[in-house]
Amino acid sequence: MLGEIIALLFIAFGVFFSAVGVLGMMRMPDVYTRLHASGKVTTLGIFGLLVGTAILIPEATLKLFGLGLFILLSTPVASHAIAASAYRSGIPMKRASRDDLAGRLPVPIPEE
Amino acid sequence: MSVLAQTLIQIAVVIMILLILPCAYRVFVGPTPADRLQAIDALTALLIGIIVLLALIQGTSFVIDVALALAAFSFVGTLAIARYLSEGRVF
Repeated sequence: MLGEIIALLFIAFGVFFSAVGVLGMMRMPDVYTRLHASGKVTTLGIFGLLVGTAILIPEATLKLFGLGLFILLSTPVASHAIAASAYRSGIPMKRASRDDLAGRLPVPIPEE
Repeated sequence: MSVLAQTLIQIAVVIMILLILPCAYRVFVGPTPADRLQAIDALTALLIGIIVLLALIQGTSFVIDVALALAAFSFVGTLAIARYLSEGRVF
């Protein structure tokens, strides 16, 4: 019974942070800030769901651990790839106070 | 699992499914291609959460394999499309 309550709290945590991530995705002004919202907050929400499920289904803990490890490794790489491709394809930043990469970007690989 | 817990988890699934709608809005409306790609990435994360909750409702651990496969393919697809958007080719 206590485990059930703790698991439900974790699931509520996960749903709440998923909702906050999606809210940030809708409200933020440009691609880079939207990536900040969805890449970090949604991952935290998924982790809440994973922990809650691992408490309620104990035999699935190993699979859920593997899934969490994969998400933890792959989400930053995917977010970085999206941000790099957005910057390289020239999408401007809204309300940026400074741009450290301006004029310093290495020459992109030429198309054959 | 008690009936109350089952009901609460079903409500959580419904909320997660409703959260897909803003992501779909961003996919359709998003002003730049990077916006759409990022929205699809977030949508896949939500789908993984929904699949995990479905495994919880059914009480089996087999459904989690689906979530693993979805995470792997989503990662590869995101990298490929991001590379295509910035350089005009995938490989």
